[in-house]
Amino acid sequence: MATSWVAPPTRTELIEDLVSGVDRYNPSNVGILEDYLYHQIRSQEYDCLANLAVLKLYQFNPDLYNPDVVINILIKALTASPLPDFNLCISLLDERPINSNLDEPDPLPSLLPTLKHLSDLLYRCRFPAFWEIYQSDELEGLRDNYTVECAGFEDAVREVAIRAVKATFTRISADRLASYLDLSGSELAAFVEKKGWKMEANVIEIPPNPDNQIEATVVQENIKLAQLTKVIAHGASM
Amino acid sequence: MAQPRAAIWAAEADDMDDDLQDMSLGNYGQNGHYDDTLFQQPQIDEATLMAMQQHMAQQAAFAQIPDVVKGFIVHFHQAVLDNNLPEITVAYESGWNKYTEKFYARTEWPEAEIIAPLVNDDPIFLILYRELYYRHVYSRLQPNVDDRFHSYENSCELFNYLLNSEGPVQLELPEQWLWDIIDEFIYQFQVFCTWRSKPKSKTEDELGMLGEGGPVWSSYSVLNVLYSLIQKSKINEYITAHQAGKTPEEIAEIVGEYGARPLYRHLGYFSIIGLLRVHVLLGDFTLALKVMENVELNQKSPYTRVTACTVATYYYVGFCYIMLRRYPDAIRTFVSILNWIMRMRQYHTRSYQYDQISKTADRMYALFAICNALSPSRLDDNIANISKERYGEQFAKMARGQEDAIPAFKELFLYACPKFINANAPPYDDPNALNAMLAPPSPDPASPEFGESLTDPAQRHLSLLLSDVIAHTPVPTLRSFLKLYTSLGAKKLANFLDADEEEMVQQLMVMKQASRSVTHVSGGKGLLDGQTASTSDLNFVIDENMVHIAESTVGRRYAGWFIKNTERTQKLYDDLKSQPLPPAPKGGTVSSAPAAAAFTEAKPVRSGPPKVAWGGVKAA
Repeated sequence: MATSWVAPPTRTELIEDLVSGVDRYNPSNVGILEDYLYHQIRSQEYDCLANLAVLKLYQFNPDLYNPDVVINILIKALTASPLPDFNLCISLLDERPINSNLDEPDPLPSLLPTLKHLSDLLYRCRFPAFWEIYQSDELEGLRDNYTVECAGFEDAVREVAIRAVKATFTRISADRLASYLDLSGSELAAFVEKKGWKMEANVIEIPPNPDNQIEATVVQENIKLAQLTKVIAHGASM
Repeated sequence: MAQPRAAIWAAEADDMDDDLQDMSLGNYGQNGHYDDTLFQQPQIDEATLMAMQQHMAQQAAFAQIPDVVKGFIVHFHQAVLDNNLPEITVAYESGWNKYTEKFYARTEWPEAEIIAPLVNDDPIFLILYRELYYRHVYSRLQPNVDDRFHSYENSCELFNYLLNSEGPVQLELPEQWLWDIIDEFIYQFQVFCTWRSKPKSKTEDELGMLGEGGPVWSSYSVLNVLYSLIQKSKINEYITAHQAGKTPEEIAEIVGEYGARPLYRHLGYFSIIGLLRVHVLLGDFTLALKVMENVELNQKSPYTRVTACTVATYYYVGFCYIMLRRYPDAIRTFVSILNWIMRMRQYHTRSYQYDQISKTADRMYALFAICNALSPSRLDDNIANISKERYGEQFAKMARGQEDAIPAFKELFLYACPKFINANAPPYDDPNALNAMLAPPSPDPASPEFGESLTDPAQRHLSLLLSDVIAHTPVPTLRSFLKLYTSLGAKKLANFLDADEEEMVQQLMVMKQASRSVTHVSGGKGLLDGQTASTSDLNFVIDENMVHIAESTVGRRYAGWFIKNTERTQKLYDDLKSQPLPPAPKGGTVSSAPAAAAFTEAKPVRSGPPKVAWGGVKAA
């Protein structure tokens, strides 16, 4: 995990204390962490460890459980693919008693399979299928009640696709990229231009990066001086 | 700027492994056997003994205790009073087990109240005695509900005494025992949670006690103990200061009166490992690695003396890496500890913990097989071969990635994973809710695993691993085709695979993704930190519709071979040189070639040109 995942630069000192200290177990701090989640949702920030701290508090204190917060955390974690964030969140969702004392029916049990399926599609790079299902009528509830509030959600999904494309392609056809990004025509052109990529005759060139450069190599052994000390010492003592 | 990523599979010797070699050995049960003769004359004066005997005369239970056991307890108590670590160790590691085998293999040891007169009602010794008493109940017998609650109370008393006395207590205990105290505390917590999570088979009494149990064995209370020990001992400050190379005086200053005492320092360190374990059991794999951030596995740690602790540490760290999809890190972790266990094996076969250690090792070989199937590595052929020997059938299925891979992954994961627990009890305090849970209104008949998945967190974690496994399913086949080409049209490849071209391109992206992993880099801070690195020797890239493939190979290691053999030859030559010359053959034949004579075993050598091949030595 890159350092920015362990400690995002946008994390405040207060949150850092909660994430790294024993205060993370104090149920009265759950509000601070929940507010921070909603701040992430509005400002396109992301802090996995802080969100896991919320789920931890829910795990230990079932009374605190707030399904909307959990759903939002899962939505944020979706777009971290291929990092395992979504799974890490699921790991902390203990089975809970059926009749939780909620005023309204709990939306999580019905949404969870959908979210898991979306996470699967992203992890398996099935981007066109993701868009198709995400845009389907069945998922209207998820879109209208949740992802619409999550600033830049669709762009964040596009970034997941971009990460996969950048690692795999040196050139990619515009049609293919369009289907991965759910963009077409002028939108796609604008997107490509914003990335600073070149498009020629419906083919987009992906700039070189460590993952899309391949080279057949023979790994040679690398002898260090330390390995030769015995031989040299012997030679010197002759 | 577009450097290919460093490939970790080609990494040279592993520093973690090297450092482990130097770690000190555990020495369980090697200090000789507990000796009866020590107790022929228990060191209590006659009068006390008389008074005690009279007082207890009516206590049939007391009378039933064999005299050697009484002697043992008295002696054990004295050793604890004297803080005599060698004696305590012998009593703890050898004596206790010996009398358990002899007298208490199938029954409890005498209760603490019964033996109390033998130890002058010493409350501290009685707490320690109960610690052993309950551990014996848990490991050999079936604990009843009272045992479960009382062992918790006894642990609380012990930790209260350690943490809330005025200043640090003067007690000293062997490291191994201290580790066992923490280890057992968490074990009992885990067993309790598992037992608690099954409301169906409980008696009225048990339901009543669970309903009123309150904080008994709650996650908060367990974490509280571990965090308190860590904070009281300032163990993290100690480790940091130690790593920074501070002098003993400076360290003593930093850690304060508690941390300066070995008892607290050891308990603090073991509590960090305990936290690692508790967090894993609760499914919090990031937090588990985060609490370890000051503990560097590649440092020479003084705590490797406690082998069980070292083995547990690597097992849980490796498991966390699996759940973080950092398979190369998991492999590295397992390889280094499995090699270490193998080297230590010769010293451990007589240890009472040997069984436990080899069971954990066996589970790590299974986890290693899982990792190796998902992220093939050549880090250590030896460990890979042992793993294949033990789990060859499953490994073959997993590595092929066809349909029967899933059951193989499932089998090995469920065998080798930790005993996960639910953080919360079923609603024992609310009979209505409990009944609702026992008889779910409408169990979904379509999902036969409904009941199972409701109570068993292992199934939840398994499904997460399987989601990754399913994503990886096409990879082995793709790989075997790509290995045959240096470039290949996507359409042609799709035809070979009898697959839709677009779908196959998406699978190629998955394959690319799978060949990159976040990995720990040497010098990185903490176990969570890492950088993306390539994990595969087969690399490829798609240029519109053409797949280009490049393979990396490891060159033959000539230099290492020559160095090894040069050293061997040098040693041989030196040995020969230091051999005394053979006695001169009878008849006083003068050998003109002493070197040659040495080699030809003093066969009379005629003067003149030597005929043996060694003659060159003389000329040199």
